Amino acid sequence: MPNPQDFSYLAPEILLATAGLLLLLIGTLGRGLGSRESALVALVSLALTGFLLFRVRQAVPGRQLILSDTFVLDGFAFFWKALVLIATALVVLFSVRFLEEGGYRAAEYFALLLLASSGMLFMASGYTLLTIWISLETMALASYVLAGYFKRHRRSNEAALKYFILGALSSGILLYGISLLYGAAGTVQLHELSQNLGKALAGGNRLVVVGWLLLAAGLFFKVSAVPFHVWTPDVYVGAPTPVTAYLAVASKAASFAILLRIFYEGLGSIRVEWQTVVALVAAATMIWGNVAALTQDNVKRMLAYSSIAHAGYVLIGVLAVSEIGLWSVLFYLLAYTFITLGAFGTVILLERREYAGETCADYAGLAQRSRFLAAMMLIFLIALTGIPPTGGFFGKVYLFAAAVQAGWTWVAVIGVLTSAVSLYYYFRIVVYMYLVDAKPGTPAPLRAPALVGAIAFCALATLVLGLYPEPFIHLAKASLLPLP
Amino acid sequence: MFDWIHNVPILSLTAYLPLVGALIVIFFMKGDQTALIRKFATGIVVLDFLISLPLWFAFDPHGELFQFRESHSWIDSIGVRYEFGIDGIALLLVLLTTLLGVLAFVSSWSAIHEREKEYYVFLLLLQTGMLGVFMALDFFLFYVFWEVMLVPMYFLIGIWGGPRKLYAAIKFFLYTLAGSVLMLLGILALYFFNAGGLLGWHGLGNPATFSILQFHDIGHLIPKDLQIWIFLAFFVGFAIKVPMFPFHTWLPDAHVEAPTAGSVILAGVLLKMGTYGFIRFSLPILPDATRALLPWMAGLSIVGILYGALVAMAQKDMKKLVAYSSVSHLGFVMLGLFALNGPGINGGVLQMINHGLSTGALFLLVGVIYERRHTRLIAEYGGLSSVMPLYATIFLIITMSSIGLPTLNGFVGEFTILVGAFNRTWWWALLAALGIVLGAAYMLWMYQRVFFGPLANRENAKLQDLSGREVFYLAPLVILCFVIGLYPAPFFRVIEKPVNYIVAKVDPSLGTAVAATGGGTPATAPRAGE
Repeated sequence: MPNPQDFSYLAPEILLATAGLLLLLIGTLGRGLGSRESALVALVSLALTGFLLFRVRQAVPGRQLILSDTFVLDGFAFFWKALVLIATALVVLFSVRFLEEGGYRAAEYFALLLLASSGMLFMASGYTLLTIWISLETMALASYVLAGYFKRHRRSNEAALKYFILGALSSGILLYGISLLYGAAGTVQLHELSQNLGKALAGGNRLVVVGWLLLAAGLFFKVSAVPFHVWTPDVYVGAPTPVTAYLAVASKAASFAILLRIFYEGLGSIRVEWQTVVALVAAATMIWGNVAALTQDNVKRMLAYSSIAHAGYVLIGVLAVSEIGLWSVLFYLLAYTFITLGAFGTVILLERREYAGETCADYAGLAQRSRFLAAMMLIFLIALTGIPPTGGFFGKVYLFAAAVQAGWTWVAVIGVLTSAVSLYYYFRIVVYMYLVDAKPGTPAPLRAPALVGAIAFCALATLVLGLYPEPFIHLAKASLLPLP
Repeated sequence: MFDWIHNVPILSLTAYLPLVGALIVIFFMKGDQTALIRKFATGIVVLDFLISLPLWFAFDPHGELFQFRESHSWIDSIGVRYEFGIDGIALLLVLLTTLLGVLAFVSSWSAIHEREKEYYVFLLLLQTGMLGVFMALDFFLFYVFWEVMLVPMYFLIGIWGGPRKLYAAIKFFLYTLAGSVLMLLGILALYFFNAGGLLGWHGLGNPATFSILQFHDIGHLIPKDLQIWIFLAFFVGFAIKVPMFPFHTWLPDAHVEAPTAGSVILAGVLLKMGTYGFIRFSLPILPDATRALLPWMAGLSIVGILYGALVAMAQKDMKKLVAYSSVSHLGFVMLGLFALNGPGINGGVLQMINHGLSTGALFLLVGVIYERRHTRLIAEYGGLSSVMPLYATIFLIITMSSIGLPTLNGFVGEFTILVGAFNRTWWWALLAALGIVLGAAYMLWMYQRVFFGPLANRENAKLQDLSGREVFYLAPLVILCFVIGLYPAPFFRVIEKPVNYIVAKVDPSLGTAVAATGGGTPATAPRAGE
């Protein structure tokens, strides 16, 4: 029987889920809430959640397992939760004007956003395979609906359906893997799992291998690593762009949180087994993501492939299984969050009804039309390429450093070469922005001060992470998992 | 007289003044205030040159190896520090950068008429990036500047370039980025070897640092196989930048398409970063690998000398001819460096400066005539000496400097390099000397076709001779060519100590020992029993 006091540690999660449900309820009453009011409610509840999260962290500064060892409070979970909250808040700012422009109801949208985020908070703290799976589903179900939120658009429908079918398949695979591992180890609690799996594998139990491979396949799907990435481009292009940004950042961050947690804490004893597989997946992801991005003309699709490629870079840090590898993953995803959100924010500003304004050609002459927006986008693209003085550069350096130190030099070589390749497609947009003249009649960017402010904040964060990363490295180093 | 210089962060001032200028232009000036922007930006680089000039007088050739040191903590958790400092070699390159900066800015007044605000912003940012590269004493900091600089150069070629500018810009960027990311892996390998070790190699267990001086101190402790891997990683980065044969193909494209100022900076300063990289890092840190790969390096240098010269001979476009001549001249510099002895490296370093002066001047001269006629084809000209006598005279002086005529700077550099190469392996010098002959052939042939003969093309009959502004920005280069040619001693004096230091590092049998560098923690032997 869990200690009743443990539930008070769940306050942030409970608050966020309740806020989501309330918003859903209000949305059905009368004429519902407008997008600005709903956004305000969402922002306030995110801020309160953040405050509670901080208090919980103060109350439990170390590491503590609660609720019958199913839920863990540690720096690692705190880091991801904070990241998810910040990313969600930025996505809320991105969405307001966009929903008004599209003419869609807002209360449900923000409710789903909050519910998905509460699932992510649970993911970060899940300590058994089943709690992790259930929180993952909470996030995923809300995301499927969000992807299809523009119900009058065929592409949005297509995205939702594809995402749902493939997502359900991967959840099934994940669950099947969990059941096999449970059969082999007799537990779903990560710490015990790790101990029992090592023994089972040493005893020649082949079930373990099939089990962890299926589990890994499900996780690779969630972080969109090759060869489980095929859903990503279509879903990213079809979903409303703020949702795409949310999937590319918050969903990816939370998925990496559980991937790290499961691989390091649950499968730590058999890490020699999975390191090679992760290395191959990382290499394939970096190569395919970057190569496929080269020929994309739609900016959202290009960013989709770029997010695949970046998942590959992050996997480098995962496979290193070292302290530097771990904190470099944390730092990288922190930087990646701001960079990618900023890039998608710029896309949103330039987008028009019916998905217009998404091709590279629509960026022609942006530097003359809006010097500020072009400069912001330039910063994000430089950061995505991994050129200093941006957070993207430092993130990559640490990841490659981890690989070199751990002896995975060939993966690092693939990483640096593919990131040089990525310059070509990122700078295609730069070419259009700065080197090509605008077509006559191109509409001006949206007027949305909140969105512009959010983008400027992302750009500032990108530069600060690049020029003075020290405090953020400290933060990442304070949020490590125990190494296996 | 120059004591005050030690009380101010003179290097940071020099490096960041252009950055500050760029920010002022971005935030406080409107795009249509072109005259103001032009004057302000030029004022900034002139001021920057004036700030950097006292370095020459305050630098003590017999003092510390690295002077005007600045050291601040930056990213402590991984041992990255903000370290600036220059030795004699860097001193010359810093001065070359600030000088060519002024000339490039002044030459742009008449050449650039569109999007001037952005143009001067990028040019200013480029100055900061280049100066930082030569001043950084922390490898990480060095790398940051090294990559930062690519972005403005990309825009300079891409926006203000010639017809194939997009292709040339992205090719330049891709080539140099691909090289530098591999170099980054080499840096990381050094970093981990100095600290906890990597792969199968036990580290030295020193505190984690990217300090270049510390790497100099531990260089000889690195096992030879690891040295060779790191050398190759550095080689890709530096050789693309130099550019050495067969990595040179981006250079002609970039040069031909770039605006005049871009070409001047590209040839005058950017290419020197590659050779500077070899001197600062490859030679002193990786002595065993350097000696092991010596035949390859010298071979590629000699092929570069001869190949560049032969291709230059076949060019119809003046700018392309000068670009290929750069490949040949940089081959000389590399040969000098890899002679690994005093004369060779002395000559190589001096020739870096000489090439910056003479090739910078050549690009400026080609730019002068391009602005008047909008063509660079040699066949379009002929008999110019009668309509533009002053231009013809200056062009002749620079041509002679490029060929290596005694009394001009090129002779001093090339001769010293040949001495060094001869001391190392006599037939290297023989082949390189062939390159000098070829160099004379293509330069003089071009000069003859452009300036002598009948004034066949009637469009050339009305060409204006050099304006006052053009004389202003060409004169310093001409004067310096003579100064170095007639009295090179002061230049050799400032680089004597660093060159001896490098020779002692890379080939202890030749060099005289130089006092410890100071600053770096002393090297320790590999820990036993690990």
